[in-house]
Amino acid sequence: MDRTLTNFIRSLRMADVRISTAETLDAMNTVELVGYRDREFLKHSLSLVLPKTADEKETFDNCFDQFFAFEDVSGERSESETDAENDSGADHAEGEGGEGGGAGGERQPGQPAQGGKKKKSKAKPNNNLFEEEEEEDLGPGEMTEASSDLGQLLMANSRVELTTAMAAAGEEVNVRDIQIFTQKGLYARRIMDAMGLAELNREISDLKERQHVPSRRLGQELKRRRDWLREQVRDYVERQFLLNADVSGKKLREELLRKVKLSNVEHRNFRLIQEIVYKMAKKLTTMHSRRKKVYKKGLLNVPRTLRHNMSYDGAIFDLRWKSVKIDRPKVFAICDVSGSVASYARFMLMFLYSLDEVMPKVRSFAFSSDLAEVTDLFQRNKIEDAIAKVLRDYSGGSTDYGQALMDFKNHCLDDVDNRTTIIILGDARNNYGDPHAEILKEMYDRSKRIIWLNPESRVSWNTGDSEMRRYQAYSHQVEECNSLMHLERVVGNLLRQVSG
Amino acid sequence: MADIDTIAESVDSLKEHFESHRYICSDQIATAVYLAFHLRKPILIEGPPGVGKTELAKTTAEMFELPLIRLQCYEGLDESKAIYEWKYGKQLLYTQVLKEALDEVLAGAKGFAQSVTRLHEFGDIFFSEEFLEPRPLLKALREEDGCVLLLDEIDKSDHEFESLLLEILSDFQISIPEIGTVKASKEPPMVFLTSNNTREISDALKRRCLHLYIPFPDVDLEQKIIHARVPEVPPELQRQLVTFIHELRDLDLKKVPAISETIDWARTLLLLHTEALDPQLVRDTLNVILKFQEDIENVDGEINAITAKIRK
Repeated sequence: MDRTLTNFIRSLRMADVRISTAETLDAMNTVELVGYRDREFLKHSLSLVLPKTADEKETFDNCFDQFFAFEDVSGERSESETDAENDSGADHAEGEGGEGGGAGGERQPGQPAQGGKKKKSKAKPNNNLFEEEEEEDLGPGEMTEASSDLGQLLMANSRVELTTAMAAAGEEVNVRDIQIFTQKGLYARRIMDAMGLAELNREISDLKERQHVPSRRLGQELKRRRDWLREQVRDYVERQFLLNADVSGKKLREELLRKVKLSNVEHRNFRLIQEIVYKMAKKLTTMHSRRKKVYKKGLLNVPRTLRHNMSYDGAIFDLRWKSVKIDRPKVFAICDVSGSVASYARFMLMFLYSLDEVMPKVRSFAFSSDLAEVTDLFQRNKIEDAIAKVLRDYSGGSTDYGQALMDFKNHCLDDVDNRTTIIILGDARNNYGDPHAEILKEMYDRSKRIIWLNPESRVSWNTGDSEMRRYQAYSHQVEECNSLMHLERVVGNLLRQVSG
Repeated sequence: MADIDTIAESVDSLKEHFESHRYICSDQIATAVYLAFHLRKPILIEGPPGVGKTELAKTTAEMFELPLIRLQCYEGLDESKAIYEWKYGKQLLYTQVLKEALDEVLAGAKGFAQSVTRLHEFGDIFFSEEFLEPRPLLKALREEDGCVLLLDEIDKSDHEFESLLLEILSDFQISIPEIGTVKASKEPPMVFLTSNNTREISDALKRRCLHLYIPFPDVDLEQKIIHARVPEVPPELQRQLVTFIHELRDLDLKKVPAISETIDWARTLLLLHTEALDPQLVRDTLNVILKFQEDIENVDGEINAITAKIRK
């Protein structure tokens, strides 16, 4: 099982790229074919197999860069393994005393350790630290063997093993659950502990006390490497945080946004809301389109039946049916953008816009007193522009539902048929004008459904100039709707009713 | 017969061969073909219209010297047009012709039951290979030495049709109720699907494919493409016209010019013996690259500025 790859896929999933098990298998086959050697090649190849939309590809690119920058050590395993071998081989030959002295045998003990300074750039952190911070110049020379596990690991100087140990410790303390950046220190500490820091510390302070020079030398060496390790761990945690927490942070924010009343949502989160609406609407339409198939059998298809039964000498016994296709719902959406709903208007328009994007036959209207069709405007502009334009052109007036309904009647009541759903978004506050509920009744009679979404909470309906009671009578469904949570429910209902 | 294995040996070799067939592609595209060949997976190609999605499939077929079987998708496309149909005419004709023969067969049969038994002995003659009219998908499976199967504009077809494709895409086989399962010959076809993204392709389909997104190329790549396709264009003009197109793509247009338009434009300019772009010439030939009057009007004001910019 390829650990690096599964980890990578995990972080992709966290970033909202949907990857199925089948795709994971594909990715493994791909990696087998391509190998880890060529980074660009690997990236291109995986980006063909894993992400399946343009958006996901972008996310993928980010994730890949972040992930494989970090995995440099373990990710290039095949390559770095040989490197590490060379490294440690060189070290041994140059006699990093401790190792040589203890592990004995093949190597010459007591070779000067200055060779360490000339080590390849790969092991740079070691070098730098080696050159600074020397409390007591013991000179290069023999060292005894480290006794603690971690000490031995450090002295073995194998990056691969260290990284593996670090990852294992990370797993042990569940570093992937890291959520907030303030936890970084904590997790770094925990990983160090899990790797056996306490034992190492004891050994270091123990060695410091010794008289024996090689032991003291080992003490210093160990301390140096411990500090280096600490930095590595900190980096590791940092990267884990970026990979895992940042996105779950986003999830958290999305969750919060779902619940918050939309009029209070700050402008900078506007994009995020839009995505939720979009995501949701998309999900619902695909669900809807799939339902289309399991509908009744339909009408007899005479030409096909005749043609098909020719082979039976024209005796008709194998009947062919016209497979009925349900028309997607024809939706008329009317949105109040007057002053009284100003704070919700953006949200409602956003909803309207998303609706228009995902359903093929939506006609949208906006009004404060006079009604105007904005379908075309929506189709030709980006969402921000469209909303801004609608608000600029149609909002601001005082509400007149009566007038708006009259306009609707004159304008397009003829287009309303028994497959039409009419969605009205508004607070039904009519400034004590004539509500013209009879027009709504007419619409009610002709259409399949009228759904009234009111951004005010139920308590304030029918108070003051609200005409909700009279309109309610001629609506199939009346819902309070001022947050995404409401919206999600309403949209779900809408499609179920229409296609059911 | 081209040696497919050698061509597909590495991404670079693929790229070279594509280039020798005058299809200039990025690493990403070559990698896609490489993986598709080695993993035996279909490629779903998405991207704006006119970036060479269909061309990629055509060139691949040409390069591997395989037959290209193309199925243009449209709303209402169903199995009888995509997979197979029974030859009704032939069936009908045969029943009429065989009517007489029927008497001979039944001659001497005693009673109804015996007649039926005799008839049964003949099996389902009318639903055998003889009467099967293979359509593109079935044809592709039956190609002995493999082929390139191009399902063009899959997004134009219905959801049902997508589901119909799943079997052939993942297992390279088709089940025909009357006959049984038809498996691909030993060389399964290389499948290309193209989509303009007019609707979202279902996850099930996407999962079975490699997903290649071809964006508009950058200036360098596009110049190379122009050079490969219209080699007679002088290098300076080449640079100018490609840069001009790239400037246009940054504008807010109803339909931005694609590579195919760039090529058309290059040909047009060549025909007019142009050495360098000048505003008047651009204005006169703008209808080659822009397909909406509105866009042409919008761009008209910018022409001077853009030409001045690119001539630097």
